[in-house]
Amino acid sequence: MTSRSRNIGALAAAQLTVNAEPYLSCDDCFEQVDVQVDAVVSGSASLPPEFRAHLIGCAACREEALSLLELAAQDLDLDRETVLARFDRALVSHEGRGS
Amino acid sequence: MDETEAPTIVSRFPLAGRASPPRPDDWVTRLGSGRDRDQAIGELHGLMLRAARHQIARMAEAHDLGWARREEIVHAAADEATSAVLSRLLLFEGRSRFTTWAYKFAVLQTAVEVRRSAWRRRETDLTALGEPASTTSGPEAMAEAGDLVRAVNESMDHVLTEHQRHVAVALLVEGVPIDVLAERLGSNRNALYKTLHDARVRLRNDLTARGYLGVTTSQEATP
Repeated sequence: MTSRSRNIGALAAAQLTVNAEPYLSCDDCFEQVDVQVDAVVSGSASLPPEFRAHLIGCAACREEALSLLELAAQDLDLDRETVLARFDRALVSHEGRGS
Repeated sequence: MDETEAPTIVSRFPLAGRASPPRPDDWVTRLGSGRDRDQAIGELHGLMLRAARHQIARMAEAHDLGWARREEIVHAAADEATSAVLSRLLLFEGRSRFTTWAYKFAVLQTAVEVRRSAWRRRETDLTALGEPASTTSGPEAMAEAGDLVRAVNESMDHVLTEHQRHVAVALLVEGVPIDVLAERLGSNRNALYKTLHDARVRLRNDLTARGYLGVTTSQEATP
């Protein structure tokens, strides 16, 4: 079978092959996003592995989680950049915590 | 105001301002059967408007929709989110701040509608997505894309089903938002994400077997 020449680009190739295990559905992500966001706002620098994996794999859920994070940070008069940086570290970190 | 004095309801939950520290019992009671239920619903709607405005302001694709359409989306999302919160009030477990829990409904409603509105005038022909336009140009860019890109292309043809390939290309190569694709396919975000997830697993397994990816020893996601 001859491969089609999609020329998908390096970014798309990376997104196509990202490791998004363990699996979590978008509905289950939505169910817990408020809890995880409040945990990060409160100082936690880690996320449950399945939640973290889902945000890595799902752009829409990640965008909405970031928005929720900003709103929650505003409510507590926290510095936006500090909270976003903590969230980024939690996404990169492999030190997951239980949900 | 004396800090020991109980704040008024309005000062705790200003319509256009920031929400105060969590008082979930207050919210649930007031929205459920409290004597000032109507006022509480109005305050909740104010919070939903704030969350919807926040969401729409941070979405680049909303900028071209025009002020009137953006306002329409904000108000519709706030209305929908208020109804969603009220209908799920008994499901709120207090594991997060009530406001954070409530905001997520407005954020979701707004984000989905913005994505759909922004793409409404664009055709998404899945049958044409197998051969997207090249995103690389020139010898340097082509070289940079490298072996992995070529290997991914090959794997997509060899190990993915036609549906998986179309969904993966639409979402990750063409950049079609998942809610838009779900609407066009008569599907939903859950189902499409599962399809994408399964496609990724197949691609990773194939690429690992062919030596293009390292063996993953844990179930930990890697960005």
